Parts: sequence; structure tokens; C-alpha cells
Amino acid sequence: MLKSKAALAGLCLLCATLALEAQDCHLALRGRVTEADTKEPLAYATVFVQEVGKGTMTDEDGRYAIPHLCENTSYTVQVSHVECAHFTQIVRLTENAEVDFQLLHDNVLGEVVVHEKSVAPPPVQSVLFVENSDLEATKGLNLGETLKKLPGVSLLNTGATIAKPVIQGLHSNRIAIVSNGVALESQQWGSEHAPEIDPFAAEKISVVKGAAGVRYGVGAMAGAIILEPAPLRAEAGVSGWLTLGGFSNGRGGIASGAADWHLPGKSLTFRIQGTAKRSGNLRAPDYFMGNTGASELNFSAMAGWKTARWNHEAGASRFDQRIGILRSAHIGNLTDLQRAIDSPTPLNNTDAFTYDLLRPYQDVQHNMLKYKTVLRISEKWKATGQYSFQFNQRREYDVVRRTGAAASKAQVAFRLWSNTMDAALEHFPIRHWQGGVGVQAVQQTNFVSRGGFIPDYQSVGGGIWAMERWRRFPSPWELEIGARYDVRQTSATTDGNLYDLDTLVRFGNLSGTVGLLYHADPNWTFSVHTGQAWRPPHVNELFARGVHHGAGTYEQGNPALLPEKAWNTNLTARFERNRWSAMLTLYRNAIRDFIYLNPGLNTVLTVRGAFPAYYYQQAQHAVLRGADANFAFPLPVGFSAEGGVSLLRGHRVTEAISNETQHDWLPLMPADRFQYGLKWTFKNKEQGTRNEDRKAGGPDSSDRSSSTVPRSSFYLRMSATTALRQSRIPEEGLLKAPPAGFTVLNFDAACTFRFNRSEDRLDIGLTIQNLTNLRYREYLNFFRYYADEPGMNVGLRAKIIF
Amino acid sequence: MQQHTKIALHTSFFALFTMSLFVTGCKDGNSPTAEENITKVEVHLVGGGINKEFAWEDADGSGGNAPTVEDIVILPNVTYTAHIHVYDGAKEVTSEIADERDVHLFTFTVTGANLTVSELDLDGNGKPFGGDSKWISGTASAGSVNIKLHHEPTDKINAANPGGEVDFDVVFPVKIQ
Repeated sequence: MLKSKAALAGLCLLCATLALEAQDCHLALRGRVTEADTKEPLAYATVFVQEVGKGTMTDEDGRYAIPHLCENTSYTVQVSHVECAHFTQIVRLTENAEVDFQLLHDNVLGEVVVHEKSVAPPPVQSVLFVENSDLEATKGLNLGETLKKLPGVSLLNTGATIAKPVIQGLHSNRIAIVSNGVALESQQWGSEHAPEIDPFAAEKISVVKGAAGVRYGVGAMAGAIILEPAPLRAEAGVSGWLTLGGFSNGRGGIASGAADWHLPGKSLTFRIQGTAKRSGNLRAPDYFMGNTGASELNFSAMAGWKTARWNHEAGASRFDQRIGILRSAHIGNLTDLQRAIDSPTPLNNTDAFTYDLLRPYQDVQHNMLKYKTVLRISEKWKATGQYSFQFNQRREYDVVRRTGAAASKAQVAFRLWSNTMDAALEHFPIRHWQGGVGVQAVQQTNFVSRGGFIPDYQSVGGGIWAMERWRRFPSPWELEIGARYDVRQTSATTDGNLYDLDTLVRFGNLSGTVGLLYHADPNWTFSVHTGQAWRPPHVNELFARGVHHGAGTYEQGNPALLPEKAWNTNLTARFERNRWSAMLTLYRNAIRDFIYLNPGLNTVLTVRGAFPAYYYQQAQHAVLRGADANFAFPLPVGFSAEGGVSLLRGHRVTEAISNETQHDWLPLMPADRFQYGLKWTFKNKEQGTRNEDRKAGGPDSSDRSSSTVPRSSFYLRMSATTALRQSRIPEEGLLKAPPAGFTVLNFDAACTFRFNRSEDRLDIGLTIQNLTNLRYREYLNFFRYYADEPGMNVGLRAKIIF
Repeated sequence: MQQHTKIALHTSFFALFTMSLFVTGCKDGNSPTAEENITKVEVHLVGGGINKEFAWEDADGSGGNAPTVEDIVILPNVTYTAHIHVYDGAKEVTSEIADERDVHLFTFTVTGANLTVSELDLDGNGKPFGGDSKWISGTASAGSVNIKLHHEPTDKINAANPGGEVDFDVVFPVKIQ
């Protein structure tokens, strides 16, 4: 590791420190980047000024320009290019300067050092990130809990262990979850089916808000959650990390680790990663919640092989989880449900701690295989191909008679096989336009055992997309346009046990987006992103038939449903200056033919009694309007403040039988939420990396390398979340009124120790959730009928990076 | 050529390793599920010259066709012995329930008709079970009887509210004439 660095240092000039002095900042740095041997101009090289966190790409002529630099200030300029060594130089300006750089193709080690460290252009669409210390603080929690703090993101819970992310009010089939480039295909229609994702495998999680259908397909009508693993190790040797942690509530433990091995003298890298989690019954402030334990065992592996023009990558992962379902939530019929609602404490509850996972519980496995290849066709063009296979198996074990035939088996089992192929042709800036075209093909087979809620089905689909982005320095404007056409064909059958079904449905539609970005000045950016996206009705909405026990309702699908079409507009304003940052997003999502579950006027008589009948229906349209904001600013003596707001109003317009239109609030919309916190940061040496200061949600993808690093650093943070009572509920009312508003306090702290002259580091963190052991219930938790939210939870974790 | 064989070795090792991730997952791939459905509840009444079974049935499960119920027509002022039969499709599961009588309870709630249900048979702990019971009819009248099967009740003595889960909850119209 050190030797290759020395080789690079031989090509680098010196690195120096920053000293902020005069504030006259109208100087510009411009120049040309060329290849050292051939003297050819290097296009699409990245020139990045670390201290201001800004950079640019060289144009076709190798020229770059960076404005608004300060006089008499030292700047660390990093120059990099895909095929050349990373290069750093210190520049100090007294006047407008012109500096040329020469990069050398790295031939010393007989391999190509690839630094995909191009400056990500600020996204036109509203995107939030969770990474670095904020992501570390949530490690050990499930995916939903990890994203909860981002404004605009909320959770749909079925108890504390099952959490589905909700983006701007929409979830399940309306948002896509993409992990390592593969969109998760599982039984995501189910409100009690949590995403089968291991957040430990990701280094960065992005939440894309708004129509993301052009890039991610029909499953991303309202947004997408993108999980990216750390890039494979680029230098020869071994590196990795190991995390150990424990949680007091549930007496849970987690262990997770990964190791990368880059073969010497080759361009081959392997990675293995694994996570193990185990926890027992959770505790609400007054009682244990019987049968709420969980266990999880996940593996993943990656391999990468780079040559001069090819970049191959293979990946495999396995997710295996067992989740206990709160015993008190397992009710027989409506009378039982009403008794549970009226009772202040959970009924039939075993108020004791145990790690045992008894019936009812869920047992889920998700396996994924992926192969991706990238070919650099020429300086400007590259082609990408990817194939992925996923197998998802979900079994539900119900409370049954011990001696019956059912006692050793699952009561419902879903099996879903998915094959996806993607191909794309992309180009670097040609006349300032960058983008590409692509195609996607999907095939799925789904088997459901007897007693399942949905029929067996086979589905095939395809899509073709094109996206282009225009950027030209020094114009402050950027434009992004995209269009996509998708088709989906599903044939559904049942085996005749419950009802006969043998039908084929086919849908096809166009979607498109337009985005505009305006750099008003170095601190302010405005963007507007608007687009149309659609999604076909899912099999459960078309063909469901049966009693949904957890909700005490009978649900029935509607085979005549049409696809939903959404017109989604986001306006975003971003401000960044030194350590001040703020972002505001206003959005309006109008969905035509919105599909929802409507209570019928009748009840359905079953052997367990009468259940209210709910039917899948289509509203004329639904409109979701809202605002998300977050901000952070520094205070004296190392303190900083941060906060966020999420507001949402959702209503639907339906046509009643009498042909009148009715306006009504949408059910299950998140209540208004406010987050605020105070953080104190301490660094042992002078200036550390910018990463520690950025809070979650900062729009810029921070540069990960650093010049001087502190020996150790730590922070303390006290934060609170206030949720109001949801007063906007549908007219037919709810079985139980929405819970009162509440304020939950959290505390977290972390300490980082770095070891001399190496990248090794030890992080220790403490998180305390629900610091005051508050008794409260969440509106979007289906188990709010039965039990409180968990009480105080103290978590301790240690991570060593080697 | 050494380089190539080395790469081939590495990649085949990796392929083997990743395949092993999936071998462990295949063991239960094909195990069938066993759903527990109660599709028919029968009340078998013997007494006063009658020896008849009255059925409540929902053959196709929830939804679909509505359940069918037979009226319980009995004579006034007669004491009948009653036995409850429970079916899952064609299979009778009454004996399975009786084997777990300690955690099961049948309850009978009469409205309208002059009918008293009493003397429920007991479980292993001397608490009520109810698979067998005595039905005593009074004068001619009409009404209904609501029969429920509770699984894992928390309080077996409290017939109005025994707790646990309801495995079935059926209503038979009753005619004493």
C-alpha cells in the first residue's frame, strides 16, 4: 500500500495546508490538462479544489476554469483522469492564474489505476444522501430506520422490526430500491413486507425524490432509494472493516465485516462481506412486547477485473431473516380487533424477555446474482451490460394447532424468480451534452402456495430509455431531459382451489422528465424537475382475495384497474457557504387513476366472523403536495445546529355513484414532522476532513480523500423529532383515532481514532434512541392498535477499518 | 500463460465460493405449506327423537360464494346432547382440537330463543372445553346461537370474554317449534 503511494508521489507535487486570509474572491484559475508523454490534451479530466469543495471537468480541448477563488490563499488542486494517476498540486493565487497540469498514464505497476472520481454534477432532481458518520450512526438498524431522519422520508411500520421507507407519502410499488445496481424485486406490495436489504453492504445511500421512472423503470414512480457499496479496492493488498455492536432494547447484537483483496500485479479484486444480527423481545416503556425478536444472517461477495478497456464486475448476495410478529397483533376477527383497540395494553401478551422466535413469524430469503461489464469504446463512448438474477422466498408461519398437520409447516409461501438484463450506451460530453440510451428486459415468475393472497403469475416486460444532460462552463444553467417507454405483460393463474383465474393483462406507457438547474452564485443553486411516470397495477391490486388478518379486513382486487400516471414536480433551492447549508424542496405529485383500498359498505362473512370488506379502486386522481427542508449552521466553540421539516398534504378526488366528485384526504399519509439537533465536534489536530461537519442530507457528494487528518475526533449530538397528530384522515374515519403528537429525544456520539501513517482507523459510537423512554405511538405503524413504540434503546458499536 | 491460469484459478474459486452461498438456501425450497382452514362447523344434536347434524359451511373460503347455514329446528322442552364437529375441507379436525382441549374453548351465546346451553365437558385441568354440551329447549320461540371456538384463551371461566383468538365464530338461527 505504501509503496504504490510512493510511486504516485513521484508523479505528484507537494501537498500543503490551507490558511484562510484575505476574502477577495474574484480570482479564477484556468489552464489545460495534457498527457505527460504524448502531450495530447486530456478531455474529461477532473480538476477539483478541495478547500471550496468545487470542481469541474476539462472540455474536449483539455481546458478547465474554476472561478471565485480567493486571493492569497493556498488551494489544494487535485487533478485526475480515468486512465491516469491521481495528481495533486498546491496553488496560491495573487491574480488570475493559468496553470497547466500533466498527467502520466500509470505504467509502473503494469496495470491501469482507475479512479472513477469524476465530480458528480449536482443532481437536478432532489436527492438526499446518507453517508459517513451519519450512516455509521445508524448501522445495525434496518434500512427504513436508516433513512428516517431525511426530510421527506418517513416509515410505514408493522411493529418496530418491519419498516418500509416512504418517500413524500408514497411507498411499496411506487418507489424502487436499488442495491448495487440491481432493483430489488420481491413481494414489495405487502405493507408488512420489509425490504430485504442489508444496509451494512452500502457505503452511501441516496434517496431520489420525484419521478425516477426514466432511470429506474416502472417501479420508481415516486422516487428511488439507491444503495451503493464502497468501490472495490484499487491498490494491491488487503483492506476491510469489522463492526461489532449491541443494543439494549431487545438485547440485540450485531457483527458485520468486509474484506477486499486486490491481487498483486493484477487488476483483480475480490470482496466478501457478511452480517449477523440477533435480538429478542423489544420493550415498550411499560411492558415487553411478546414475540418481537428477530435474527438475520447475510452474505455478499463481489469481484472486479479491470483491463485497459474492460471493467468486469460480478456480485452475489444472500439475505436471510426471521422476524417475530407481535403475538398480540394476531387477532381472530373484528370483535377481537375491537377489544385490542380498546385495551391500553397488548392483549394475550407474554410480558417477559426471551430470544425465542415463536409463531407467528416471517421467514424471508433473498438471493441475488449479478454480472456487469463496462467497455470503454473510445474516449467519448462507453457501453454497459448487466444481467441480474434474484430469487425471493417469503414464508409466513401462523399460530396453529400444535398437533395438526400444519404445525411444522408455513401457512403461506411466496416464491419469486426475477431475471433482468440491462444494456446502455453512454457518452462523455459531446458538444457539452452528456448522457446515453439504454434498454432493459425483465422476466418474473411467481408461485404462491395454497392460502396465499395473490395468484401465481408470470410477467415479462421491457423498456427503452434515453437521457441527456447539458452543461457548459461558464453558463450557470444546466439542463437534463430523459424519456422512456415501458411495457409490462402479466399472466395470472390460480390452481383452482379458491377461485378460478386465468388471465393476461398488458400495459405500455411513456414517461419522461425535464430538469433545469441554475447556479445563481457560488452559494445558491435552484432547480426545477418535472416529469411524468407511470406504473401498472400490481397483481395484488388486480387479483387479491382474502382476509388480511393483521388489519382485520377482507381485501379484494379489481381486475379492471388501469395504470397510474403521475405528474411530479419538484422545486429545490440549495444554499451552501462554508459550514452553512440549507435546502428546501417544494413538490406536487398529481396521480391520475390513483389505486387505493376503499372500504365497501358491506362486510364479508367468513368462518371467523364478519370482516369489513375493502376493495381496490381507482380515484379520478390524487394530489400530494408538500415541502421538505433541512438546514445546518455552525455555532461558536465547535457547536453546530441542524434541523429538518417534512410537511405533506395528500387528498384524492373520486367519483361517487351519483356522478358527483368527492374530495377526501388520502389515508396513511405521514403527519407533519420536525427534526432539530445540536452537535458539538472536536478534532485533535487542526483541520480535518469536511465529511465530519456535513450532516445527513447535504447535497454534495463529499470528496473522500484528505490532506491532513486529525489523530482523533469526536462529536456529541442531541437531537429531537417532533411529530404532530395527523388530523387529515379520510371521511370514513379510522378504527382507532390517530395517536397524539409527540417529541422523541435522541442522543448520539462517536469517536474516531486514526493510527499513524496508515488508513487504519477505529470508530466507537454510542446512540441512545428515545432518551426519555417516552410512551408514544406512530400513526404509520399498523401495530399502533396493539402496543406502544419501543422505549429507550442504548446502542454501542465499534468499527475497525484496516 | 501463467498469468491466465492464475486468473482462471482465482475466478473459479470465486465462482465456487458464491455458489456455496446458495447451496444452504435450497433445502426448503419445495416444502409445501399447510394451511389451516375451517370450512365447516356441524352441531350434532341427539334427543327427543331427533338425531341430526346442522351445518354452517363456507366451502370456497373467505369471499367467493357466501357461507350456507342450516336452521337448527328443535322441539320445545327437550334436553339434547350436542357434539360439535369441525372440518377442514373433507378432513375432520375435531379430534385434533380435542387433543388440545386444554387450550381450546367452545362458547355458546343464545339470543332470542328459549334455549340454554350448559354442562360443557371439561379439559385436562377441570376447566370448560365444550366439545360436548347439553342443550335444553324451553317453550316455542325463535332466535339464534353464536358458537365460537377460542384458541389459547386467557380466562376459560369467563364465558363472555375468555380471551385468546377466535378460530371460528358462526351464528346458527334457532327455531323451537
